[in-house]
Amino acid sequence: MPEIEFTVDETTGALTAHVKGVAGPSCGDIQKLLEALLGGASKEEKTPEFYRRVVTQQRVRGGAK
Amino acid sequence: MSKYVEFTDVKFASRECLLAALKALGYPAEQVEEGERLNLYGFRGDQRPETAEVVIRRQHLATASNDLGFRHTSAGYVPIVSDYDVSALARKHKCREHGFIAKLKATYAEAVVQEVARRLRGKVVAQASGSVRKLVVRY
Repeated sequence: MPEIEFTVDETTGALTAHVKGVAGPSCGDIQKLLEALLGGASKEEKTPEFYRRVVTQQRVRGGAK
Repeated sequence: MSKYVEFTDVKFASRECLLAALKALGYPAEQVEEGERLNLYGFRGDQRPETAEVVIRRQHLATASNDLGFRHTSAGYVPIVSDYDVSALARKHKCREHGFIAKLKATYAEAVVQEVARRLRGKVVAQASGSVRKLVVRY
């Protein structure tokens, strides 16, 4: 299950976000949403999950007649 | 007369999340004025040169407060707080000296998390550990 882990420092108000379980371009969509709400990340690090390829499988139904 | 300070390093990108944060701090929509270049007034009713697009009038703040404003910029809403209110609002909201802006930032951050969960149709699970609050959005 994908999740975003936010850490809020109550003393300074600083927010960090860690996107987990989201591979490839979908992670970029989450980033755009966060940037729209937070006004751009001051520091960004891509996790290994970002570089993981998204494999899509195509099933062909039916067979030889 | 307490002068206004514009906290240009603090920007709240989303108006909706800013309004949600203000509501969470005890300033509901009916206490928040929205418009274009609204004048700010000091505690004696004296008009100040500063203007803002989101304003909480002084009667809703603390004793002898000045208006609290948020000026709209291309990067978001920038708080405009008087010198006096930096301390007065910290006392009112029971945070450390000059801690009101930090508290507002933390409350805004929580509003952002709720908004992310809403848009992703997810759930928020909260954990607190000392002064750090962890919020996980699962979707």
